[in-house]
Amino acid sequence: MLGVAGLTATAWPAAAQSGAQVTLMTYSGIFQEQYTAGVIEPFQAASGHRVQYFAPGTSAQMLGTLRAQKADPQVDVVIMDTTTAALACAEGLVEKITPAEMPVLNQIDAQARTAGGGCGPGVTFDHLVMIYDTKAINPAPTRFMDMANPALRGRVSVSAPPNIQGLVLTAILAHANGGDWRNLRNAIPGLKEIAANAQTFDPKPDGATMILNDQIAFATGWNARSQLYSLQSQGRIGVVLPQEGTAFQINTINIVAGSRNAAAARAFMAHALSAEAQKAFTERLFYGPTNTTAQISPEARARTAQSAEFNARVIPLDWVEMQRVRENWNQRWRREVITAQQ
Amino acid sequence: MSRSSPHLRLEQLVRHYAGAAAPAVDRISLDLPRGALLALLGPSGCGKTTTLRMIAGLEKPESGRILVGGRDVTALPPHKRHMGVVFQSYALFPHMTSVGNVAFGLEMQGVARAERGPRALAALELVGLSGFAQRKPRQLSGGQQQRVALARALAIEPDLLLLDEPLSALDAKLREGVRDEIRALQQRLGTTAVFVTHDQTEALAMADLVAVMNAGKVEQLAAPEEIFERPATRFVATFVGRAARIQGRLEAGGVLRTEGGAALRTHSSLAAGPVEAFLRPHRVRLLAPGEAAPTGMANVLDATLARRVYTGEIVALEANTPAGVITAELHAGTDGLWRELQPGSPMRLAFRDTDLLVFPAP
Amino acid sequence: MIGWLLALPALGVMGLAFLWPLAMLFRISLNRTTETGAMEVAVTGESYTRLLGDEFTWELIGNTLGLSGTSAAIAVAMALPVALMIRAASPRWRGLLALLAIAPLLVSGTARLVGWMAILGDQGMINVVLRWVGLTDAPIRMINNWTGVRVGLMESLMPYAVLVLLAGLGRLDSRLEEAAATLGANRFRTFIRVTLPLAAPALLAAWLLTLVLGISAFITPRLMGGGRVFVLATEIYNLALESVDWPAAAAMAMLLLGGLILLMLLRGCVGWLQGKRA
Repeated sequence: MLGVAGLTATAWPAAAQSGAQVTLMTYSGIFQEQYTAGVIEPFQAASGHRVQYFAPGTSAQMLGTLRAQKADPQVDVVIMDTTTAALACAEGLVEKITPAEMPVLNQIDAQARTAGGGCGPGVTFDHLVMIYDTKAINPAPTRFMDMANPALRGRVSVSAPPNIQGLVLTAILAHANGGDWRNLRNAIPGLKEIAANAQTFDPKPDGATMILNDQIAFATGWNARSQLYSLQSQGRIGVVLPQEGTAFQINTINIVAGSRNAAAARAFMAHALSAEAQKAFTERLFYGPTNTTAQISPEARARTAQSAEFNARVIPLDWVEMQRVRENWNQRWRREVITAQQ
Repeated sequence: MSRSSPHLRLEQLVRHYAGAAAPAVDRISLDLPRGALLALLGPSGCGKTTTLRMIAGLEKPESGRILVGGRDVTALPPHKRHMGVVFQSYALFPHMTSVGNVAFGLEMQGVARAERGPRALAALELVGLSGFAQRKPRQLSGGQQQRVALARALAIEPDLLLLDEPLSALDAKLREGVRDEIRALQQRLGTTAVFVTHDQTEALAMADLVAVMNAGKVEQLAAPEEIFERPATRFVATFVGRAARIQGRLEAGGVLRTEGGAALRTHSSLAAGPVEAFLRPHRVRLLAPGEAAPTGMANVLDATLARRVYTGEIVALEANTPAGVITAELHAGTDGLWRELQPGSPMRLAFRDTDLLVFPAP
Repeated sequence: MIGWLLALPALGVMGLAFLWPLAMLFRISLNRTTETGAMEVAVTGESYTRLLGDEFTWELIGNTLGLSGTSAAIAVAMALPVALMIRAASPRWRGLLALLAIAPLLVSGTARLVGWMAILGDQGMINVVLRWVGLTDAPIRMINNWTGVRVGLMESLMPYAVLVLLAGLGRLDSRLEEAAATLGANRFRTFIRVTLPLAAPALLAAWLLTLVLGISAFITPRLMGGGRVFVLATEIYNLALESVDWPAAAAMAMLLLGGLILLMLLRGCVGWLQGKRA
């Protein structure tokens, strides 16, 4: 299958000509706005290719699109969560890629490279943070366990597994209590305490909106989006990288196996991983750059986990391993954590 | 309660329906003695069913009073009125057996459990259905359902028995039998009853008193003979029984002069002017050629036979006369003169002055 | 013959919009999920045996039946007086009242959530009143849990219950209630002894329909459950879109569908028996 994909890629030299159209599948909303302005438009201007943006929803829905179009792919490049991308990679839905084929890979952070599992590497770093209502909470919290304060009954939103935020939070607390993120037992007591305060384990539409609606005071969130909410709410939403640590959520970029515009698609991928595209997107939406040579402004860098101050707090998380334990974690959450306070 | 006071009294009952211009029931008053059967007779929409429903308490009059045995029941809800109602569709409870239907009323009246069964069965026996006690309504014929409904209404020994078109859902053959049964039962039990019908034969055959209703008003309240023989209004004359209509002018001495030139003697005391007279077919006699009119038959008309309708017992002769078309009905067996007559044959018809029911022309 | 031809477009749409995806779903349910979570094309019943062997699945089935059974029962119980009122109204009002009763169907799930939040939330109407009266000092949780879902589901099922009851009660002759009244039964006894027994088939039909709708309900448990409510529909969503285990999601969907078909057959049988009895 992969061989076929490789052949197909080289069998379409015409696509390398200026003026090809690349279809990119990834997230909608703010991501789409900022990615279009910061990455896509400069690429179109420089290369003469056009990029068609397609946003079917979540990573799982993107995987669904890839599976459904396996025989006749309509998408050329996909940016999706590493856990889902790993499935796409294992199922042969996206291409493996080497630094020999694409030299820019040599500039990519090691953890981002690993995240691709042989297929495309990480293109953005994001990480789990705690967000809170600066109007209601004073002084500023510093730890995830601040959400366990009994005074906060009903004022906390925690996303439960199988949502990735819930998995990551569990891993962070396990890591903080014994050094091994896999050791669920060490996370459960703290999770139960937080869960006793939970208003919801499935925030709708999301934690930040619930804070702005005065429904809760605390939530977990992804850093990039939370930073933007913080700016947009003029500081009402506070973003904390807690002392217990954080873990990366990585989006990888991949060439779809059997892409009809493989050459142009690779050109776009190389651009997306380049230092200038990475810098542009980080400064717009605070996703951490995966290209180690990207020169990020200090203000933007402070809002990512790449700042020296925070870098040490990132725990090593193996998503392949996580895939194996997640079903067990789901069950334990349902039986012990979610029911903790009822 | 004195014996002479009426058992049921309606006083100035009025009921409008939303959106209707004329009232459905317009100031109806009537008295009904204990043990009597009253028929409310009229065409559809005359207000007879509405009147019955107001007596039962199923509809509220806007004004007026209803008294039963001297007691004002106008404000009482139906379940406190203690009246047995037989609905047109019988309204038997489909989820209960015959005896269950009858016992339901007894239970609601507070009859002790032990007494209910025997009394319900007795009521069914009264209507000749003791063998059908355990049947559900859908397992009974229309006539049987009707009798269960009657038993259910009678079992509670109601102050008043109300029947809404009780025979209309039965086929013609059954109707007469059931009619007589109801009447016999009502008389045997001495129950005061009101029933609604649009069938004049039913009303005349069953009732002690008939109230002929039209457009929300009672046109005449009287015994059946009185209604038929001496209708109080033109409406009663035309609605009850058939009659030939004769138009003309009433002159001094009670002579009715028709447009065709006939001069008929009447018993009318109306002032001179345009009138309409009605003549019942069975009142008209056919004279043999040369035969003198019998004593008292002051009116004799020369006529020509237009049509002859033979229905077995009765033969109807439709004749053209100077007074218009007049029908004579003869007993086909006893009166043989008609056999000679063919359409176009000349003939002579005679009737009494009192047979002409004269009303001012509308 | 012409009837068949006329039915063709509808049959075609049904085939495309229902049967084809269903066949695809069934096919996916036979695939294998590898250790790493990837989907492998295969023909195996592994997903089914895995699900049926997992006690959590049975808990989900119990949760689903319990939730939809009670919500449907409450919805029908609350719809009955509404349906009786609409039935008793004059024909002029009846249409308008029936329209009002089913108006909630026109409101989207999200809008409903906002509405219920304002009523059941920690800062919602009920909690504010309870605190103001002094009955409670901390908010009682009535949303983002089973209570919230039950209330929300009950509310969203009620219009359907009203519709089914209106159709069923339409055949109930109001003369029967009048007959009971003339025999001496007050309103309450008339209701218990006559209206209710005769409405029983309609009540059962309404309960079965709302039960089926409740079992397949997804939006309400998802939006109002706060992640505490686990039923088959939400679990299918989780399996498909969070855990990305399509074979398991498809297998669970097939199980749910099988259960629903069984219930519909049961409903058909009940209807058939009633038809035979009447």
